[in-house]
Amino acid sequence: MEFLRPESLGEALAARAAHPEAVPLAGGTDVMVELNFARRRPAALLDLTRVGELTGWHADGGTVRVGAGVTYAELTGERASGGQTALGRLLPGLAMAARTVGSPQIRNRGTIGGNLGSASPAGDCHPVLLASGASVEAASVRGRRQVPIDDFFTGVKRNALAPDELITAVLVPAPGGPEQFAKIGTRNAMVIAVAAFAIVLDPVRRRVGTGIGSAAPTPVRAVAAERLLAGALAGDGLWESRGPLPEQVVTEFGQAVSAAASPIDDVRGTAGYRKQALAVLASRTLGWAWRDYRAAGQQAGRG
Amino acid sequence: MTSMFGEPIARVEDDRLLRGEGAYLDDLGHDALAAAFVRSPHAHAVIRDIDVSGALDAAGLVAIYTHEDLPGRVGEPLPLLIPHPALTHGRTGYPLAAAEVNHVGEPVVMVVATDRYLAEDAAERIVVDYDPLPAVVGVDAARAAEHLVHPDVPGNVAAHLVQANGDAAAAVAAAPHRLELDLYIERSASTPLEGRGVLARWDTESRRLRIWTSTQTSTGVRAAVAAKLGLALADVDVITPDVGGGFGVKIVHPWPEEVLVPWAAMTLGRPVKFTEDRSEHFVASAHERGQRHQVRVGFDDDGRILGLDVTFWHDNGAYIPYGVIVPIITSTQLLGPYKPGAYRVEFSSLYTNTVIVTPYRGAGRPQGAFVMERTMDAIAAELDLDRTLVRERNFIQPGEMPYDHGLIFQDGRPLIYDSGDYPAALARLKGLIGWDEFEAVRRAARAEGRRVGIGLACYVEGTGVGPYEGAHVVVETSGKVRVATGLTSQGQGHQTVFAQIAADELGVPITDVEVVTGDTRAFGYAVGTFASRAAVMSGSAVALAARAARAKAIRVAAAALEASPDDMEIVDGVVRVKGDPGSGIALGTVAVLSNPLRYAFDEAARAATQFVGGDLSTPPVAEGDEPGIEGREYFSPVRSTFASGMHAAIVETDPDTAEVKVLRYCVVHDCGTLINPRIVEGQIHGGVAQGVGGALYEKMAYDETGQLQNASFMDFLMPYVSEVPERIEIDHLETPSPLNPLGIKGAGEAGVIPGSAVIAAAIEDAEGFPITSMPISPSDLFELRRRHAASGETANASQTASVNRAG
Ligand SMILES: Cc1cc2nc3c(=O)[nH]c(=O)nc-3n(C[C@H](O)[C@H](O)[C@H](O)COP(=O)(O)OP(=O)(O)OC[C@H]3O[C@@H](n4cnc5c(N)ncnc54)[C@H](O)[C@@H]3O)c2cc1C
Repeated sequence: MEFLRPESLGEALAARAAHPEAVPLAGGTDVMVELNFARRRPAALLDLTRVGELTGWHADGGTVRVGAGVTYAELTGERASGGQTALGRLLPGLAMAARTVGSPQIRNRGTIGGNLGSASPAGDCHPVLLASGASVEAASVRGRRQVPIDDFFTGVKRNALAPDELITAVLVPAPGGPEQFAKIGTRNAMVIAVAAFAIVLDPVRRRVGTGIGSAAPTPVRAVAAERLLAGALAGDGLWESRGPLPEQVVTEFGQAVSAAASPIDDVRGTAGYRKQALAVLASRTLGWAWRDYRAAGQQAGRG
Repeated sequence: MTSMFGEPIARVEDDRLLRGEGAYLDDLGHDALAAAFVRSPHAHAVIRDIDVSGALDAAGLVAIYTHEDLPGRVGEPLPLLIPHPALTHGRTGYPLAAAEVNHVGEPVVMVVATDRYLAEDAAERIVVDYDPLPAVVGVDAARAAEHLVHPDVPGNVAAHLVQANGDAAAAVAAAPHRLELDLYIERSASTPLEGRGVLARWDTESRRLRIWTSTQTSTGVRAAVAAKLGLALADVDVITPDVGGGFGVKIVHPWPEEVLVPWAAMTLGRPVKFTEDRSEHFVASAHERGQRHQVRVGFDDDGRILGLDVTFWHDNGAYIPYGVIVPIITSTQLLGPYKPGAYRVEFSSLYTNTVIVTPYRGAGRPQGAFVMERTMDAIAAELDLDRTLVRERNFIQPGEMPYDHGLIFQDGRPLIYDSGDYPAALARLKGLIGWDEFEAVRRAARAEGRRVGIGLACYVEGTGVGPYEGAHVVVETSGKVRVATGLTSQGQGHQTVFAQIAADELGVPITDVEVVTGDTRAFGYAVGTFASRAAVMSGSAVALAARAARAKAIRVAAAALEASPDDMEIVDGVVRVKGDPGSGIALGTVAVLSNPLRYAFDEAARAATQFVGGDLSTPPVAEGDEPGIEGREYFSPVRSTFASGMHAAIVETDPDTAEVKVLRYCVVHDCGTLINPRIVEGQIHGGVAQGVGGALYEKMAYDETGQLQNASFMDFLMPYVSEVPERIEIDHLETPSPLNPLGIKGAGEAGVIPGSAVIAAAIEDAEGFPITSMPISPSDLFELRRRHAASGETANASQTASVNRAG
């Protein structure tokens, strides 16, 4: 097995173009598992860990650009990224998702780029990225492009990258309101989720974003649920009043999210359980997000 | 000097192990060749052809072996270790499959190469042509016997056994109340963190074989390998290095690899090592627990059991090398602390195209406790009685000890309980968990929208089965004491407790005692570590051997001091006249004195010269005497000794997500006299963790073709610290065993036994419908809720029935 070690993005993209069979290697927390299980015997590995351009992040106007090599520990703020620990506060939804990933060891190695590269329906970044309307920056020797997250997941563990492309960064709109993420597993830690859900409320654009994990062949949005909730919030003037959410809205939102999923029966749970879990996650996260929104309003009112 | 026996001293092993200085099998033999195996991808298939030609030019390849290459006994089926008259159709596997494979993971080809990577690369190039056959998976398919695992075993039945005491069927029929229950426990496995492994060196000069293996029985492996390879026992050493857990799976001997690796080392004249990886462990070692049970019980208005009639089906996997120990244990230990009026039990042990079964910590008892305790709860629900009251009314009373159940136990001896006080244990447990106050807890939780439930379960565990263990105690001239016993250790703390026993018996500081276990060079006769027998068996043997060494030391010292042996004592390593600290001789010096061949190599020898007198008219070593201060004794009890315990748990079930959280877990435990309470509690903690795992997380998810769907730690969920109750509340009761010199009973397996029973009971109490199958995942509980909601009224009725009514 050949081991390619580019030192820069330019070298990496050249290597990627020259060796389309080479498997990119970031934290290796997915790749090494596949090698170990002999699910994959690549002719070459393309080590990205020396490519400085993939690390770190910066906020630029309304967008936060997170390098593909940023680890979960950096997303949570457990570890400094580019000398700063503010990322966790800047993108609270991603930080919440990252906090639920694996164990400290996995969070130290695993990257957001690797999560997208694997494009597993159970990837924990995906629901948040879907809910916040992020886009993925891909690069090749041919140039750079941005793929809207809605177009990124193309099938079970498949994504929209061309064979010569690498993920260089994720562009996440800076949140203008509360974000929540929750997942249910068969154990409290180190487990592939039974279902995951993210919600983003954007009071400025009056937008509701959602993302579902582990309950369909790809991570998906619950578009009808977003519309239902946005309609209810606007119709009742709740964005302005920050009044309590009617119980019925919460329940219907949960049901609509559940309806957007197309889960299967497997060793982790039945399809029916996954649907139930999603309804619960959706209602709960909406409740928490709305509580945060109301609390923020009260603080603003006081301040 | 304070007595060491009974003290919660820290384990002497831990310093070394926690510093990473342990030496497990894979830490040894860096110069060895590595073995890898081609294993069957099919649950059931005929082997048509094996083509190794593609692998012959693989880098680093040393040898490839198939069944045909194995000479004589090496290639023959592995032994059936524990025959039993009921085991009429015993079948065991070949070290390398001969013509047929019967489970995914069965070894077919052995590859030896210069390292493991190259061995696996070569193995990948070997092509085996299979003709797949229909697979038999699970108890129900085995019973239906639409297909057979072994064509010459009708109905897939390996063994069938009935035991009875009284006429249970008649007693049930005549009883005022009757219930029938169908109770199921899913397969699980020991899953020690260290898998199996074996390293062998053939010494071409001395023509001796030395084997290191991660086993629970080094003497067993030694005898098996010597027989297979045609070597004298004296030419085979088996050494057990540090073992990273066994829990039963490593009691099987020999594993195919334990025959093949030594044979290859002999054949090649080079050391060979096999280290099992995690994926292999799931499909090529052993599982346990899979059983379906049918209970018919008849009882009176007070809940007293008049007749208990149990039929069950045990899934023994593809082969049955370990015999029917597990179902025999279920069938006898199911009775727990109770005395039904009449009892009948019948089991069938069935072949399936899945991994073989060996005892897994608890060994059939978790199933037995589940069956009995679910039955007790069902009786309480039926009669609307408090669950503890029903148990109390069925208890064997302390005054009835020894209690004879009129059945035959796993060791082939009568099932007679030696001692125990079950009413006292229950009273303590109720106090510990606050049983009588629980309704208030339930109400308070309900007011917050939370759902909680309480449950309890009792068990009795036959421990310390025979036939024997031995020990050798030597006082060296340095004053150090070396203790050897043949039984192995898997990290339980044997070095510590055996040292405590020897230190007390000999009157030496514990730091002067060194313990060797599981090394046939140090002690050749032993049985092994299983059935919670180490402390009882080897502990007793160590005590007896130390007493013999002590008597000798006193005799020699008394002669030197011209005192009466009756007036002597040993304090802090000095043999002296009682109460006269000035009079003593250090034990090391006594050791020198005991040997007439005395070179003045060390201080002890020089010191001894002052005591040398001697009668020149008698031989230097008197008739019947021998040089040295040593003791070698065996302990062989007439029967097993019966430990017992009771667990209670409070769980919370999430009304929305069906997640189950254990809020409190209480244990009242009786293993007789405690040698080291800290170690016993450690064993209980570990056992409870495994019990929680078995109840809520761990199962073997085979699909209908016999592929194990969760064969990695990604999907086989062992409990982490985040799943085990934060605090396990323990109370000890000590009813000494009359069957051994120390009054002790086994403690190794106890913690796991009532796990599924107690958690099922607590979930049932929280949910209001019967829990009859374990383990239970949130998804399972959710589906049960749906089913019971659909059947509306029934659910409500059973809710009222199973709600705990205190007072
Ligand atoms: C014990 C354990 C627990 C885990 N728990 C979780 C969990 O809770 N939640 C979760 O979401 N995941 C979990 N994972 C999976 C894994 O950690 C994540 O998916 C992680 O984000 C992968 O990142 P990585 O950097 O390790 O990727 P790698 O393994 O290096 O790569 C993953 C894939 O992405 C490709 N890739 C990597 N970087 C790029 C790039 N820049 N451009 C293009 N392709 C690229 C690789 O070729 C590969 O196909 C767990 C894994 C383990 C082993």
